[in-house]
Amino acid sequence: MNAIAALLIFPGGLFVLFGGMAYEWADRKLVARLQNRLGPRWFQPLADTVKLLAKEEVIPSGVNSFLFLGLPVAALAGALTAALYVPLAGLAPSYSFPGDLIVTLYALSLLTLCTGLAGANTSDRFSLVGATRTLTQLFSYEAPFLLALLGPAMATGSWQINQINQYAAQHWLLVAQPVGFVVALIGLMGKLELPPFDAPEAETEIVAGALTEYSGRGLALFRLGKNAELMIGLTLVASFYFGGIANPLEFFGKTLGLLLGLSALQTLMARLRIDQTVGLWWRYGALLVLAQWLLLILAQGVMA
Amino acid sequence: MPDKFIIPIGPQHPALKEPGHFEFTVDGEVVTGASVRLGYVHRGIEKATESRNWNQNLYLLERICGICSHTHAMAYCLGVEKLAGVVAPPRAQAIRTLVGELERIHSHLLWLGVAAHEAGFDTLFMYSWRDRETVMDVLEGLTGNRVNYSANVLGGVKVDINGQQSDSIRKGLDFLEERTRHYLEVVTTDTVFLQRTRGIGVTTNEQAERLGLVGPTARASSVVRDIRIDAPYAAYAEYPVSVVTEAAGDLEARFIVRIKELFESYRVIREILDKLPEGELQARVPRRIKAGETISRVEAPRGELFYFIKSNGTDTPDRIKVRTPTMCNMASVLALAVGHQLADMPMILVGVDPCFSCNDRSVVINGGGDCWTWEQLRQYGIDYYRRKP
Repeated sequence: MNAIAALLIFPGGLFVLFGGMAYEWADRKLVARLQNRLGPRWFQPLADTVKLLAKEEVIPSGVNSFLFLGLPVAALAGALTAALYVPLAGLAPSYSFPGDLIVTLYALSLLTLCTGLAGANTSDRFSLVGATRTLTQLFSYEAPFLLALLGPAMATGSWQINQINQYAAQHWLLVAQPVGFVVALIGLMGKLELPPFDAPEAETEIVAGALTEYSGRGLALFRLGKNAELMIGLTLVASFYFGGIANPLEFFGKTLGLLLGLSALQTLMARLRIDQTVGLWWRYGALLVLAQWLLLILAQGVMA
Repeated sequence: MPDKFIIPIGPQHPALKEPGHFEFTVDGEVVTGASVRLGYVHRGIEKATESRNWNQNLYLLERICGICSHTHAMAYCLGVEKLAGVVAPPRAQAIRTLVGELERIHSHLLWLGVAAHEAGFDTLFMYSWRDRETVMDVLEGLTGNRVNYSANVLGGVKVDINGQQSDSIRKGLDFLEERTRHYLEVVTTDTVFLQRTRGIGVTTNEQAERLGLVGPTARASSVVRDIRIDAPYAAYAEYPVSVVTEAAGDLEARFIVRIKELFESYRVIREILDKLPEGELQARVPRRIKAGETISRVEAPRGELFYFIKSNGTDTPDRIKVRTPTMCNMASVLALAVGHQLADMPMILVGVDPCFSCNDRSVVINGGGDCWTWEQLRQYGIDYYRRKP
């Protein structure tokens, strides 16, 4: 019974779906206010989702319809699975085992992978370019992002999210590993394709990128998946670098604080071209994190 | 070749606010070929002018462009006045110039926002359009309209400026000048934005001359070409502007030229307000215009706007031909596209500040063939539908 509740209601199902929409609203509202706009009303993401779910789903000709319908489901499932292992709302994760950090990160990557495949599945030219860009971007930010989240894991000496969270509660890793924090935060922006890393869905070039052909239910599921990922990603970064998450108050305070930073970064910059994105990650992101790792290993060696 | 991968931009596309069709052949992300098809918003205005009288045409021609409506009306008025042998009074000419410069401010700020949006820099877009409202309000206060001001009549202007309006214009300009200084700083120092503009779409001076570019697009490649200086019209001889050029020829230079022109406009408007001549607003223009033909050139915000006007001595024109600056600049988009990345295409396209509905004239496709008579066309139509299954 508990297992079903964990999957369907908290933290896996309804909580993440609605929480994700709330975070999407907060993000959109913050960006809008920073850009001197009014921004959406609080129920706008919900209204969008309901509308999309109710709409007819057009399956374009020339696609594998099994993949076309299945990929959004897989993408959302990946994001919801990841929710089971992170300390959402400041409560202990429903499931925990040594090494769940790796599983979570891969579950989160499933969304990007599905988006890329969904784009490559259709014969739309915007989708194909979008899919290429999505996957190129995946390869550029994924490694630095992973390394940035493994930094706290190394400091803790465990690859279990719950233990890292407890360790982080005693140590503000933001101070000890500032480079890792920056890379993790910016990596999260790359993962969510937020500006300036929105080249894969640059509307002035390729309309909606990989998801151009999606309408109705498929688009709704992808959007829900992305919202869930925003919430989970913020939770991970906040619990690792912002002194852990021990109760709901800390959870909301820290993730929303982080979201404010994320929104400010989004408004500050113009869109990067895809080659610039790749260059940024491999020339600076990856190297900086690796340098920090080296220091970490040396420091641990000296102390031991 | 079937293995070409072509990205179609338009006729309906988020990057285009008006319909036009571009086909970019890409190899990965790099553009290897480009072609354009225009004419989706051809409205037959030139032909329509021939069935309206000289006064009615003023209303029609002002609607060629929604952004530089005043320059169209001004070019037409100056041409018709030249044909009729009438000179508008100095106060009218000064007010025409003033509205023309206000329009340039609104057009350049609009372009700044659109160009920033194409680069994914929506914050600059939102802020520059918010500030653009100031000049829109000024124009509304002056003429009663935000878009098609209809400040001109044949032989003068409709609107006068009183002290109160003069003060509100000055207040608006002070605010805008401060903001413009900020935007100049943003486009020349923002590292991320410069990555998208510096060294992108470089047009050399020779290229600009060969392609016959006009307006700020040409001036960004250090081509000194500005009708306000080369052939002063309206009141530009009394209130001279100085030409703004940049040497680099890239997108950044186009931003700098347009923003620096804003400062020039602020200065000229203040000068006009300081030294506005007293007198009449309108001179009388006869209903029938003497037979003859003339050209009239003005500097629209996008470059040289050219009017050819022919009268046969009646109350309707015999022929009016308009050449808008976008037409001259469109060639540079295709010339620059090859070798750049797909992501730069919207920026390069918007870099010339295209205005499609101004630009779309009658289109001749595969021209040079025989002319069909009405009877032949009708027969062709009948045969076509008979052949159809």
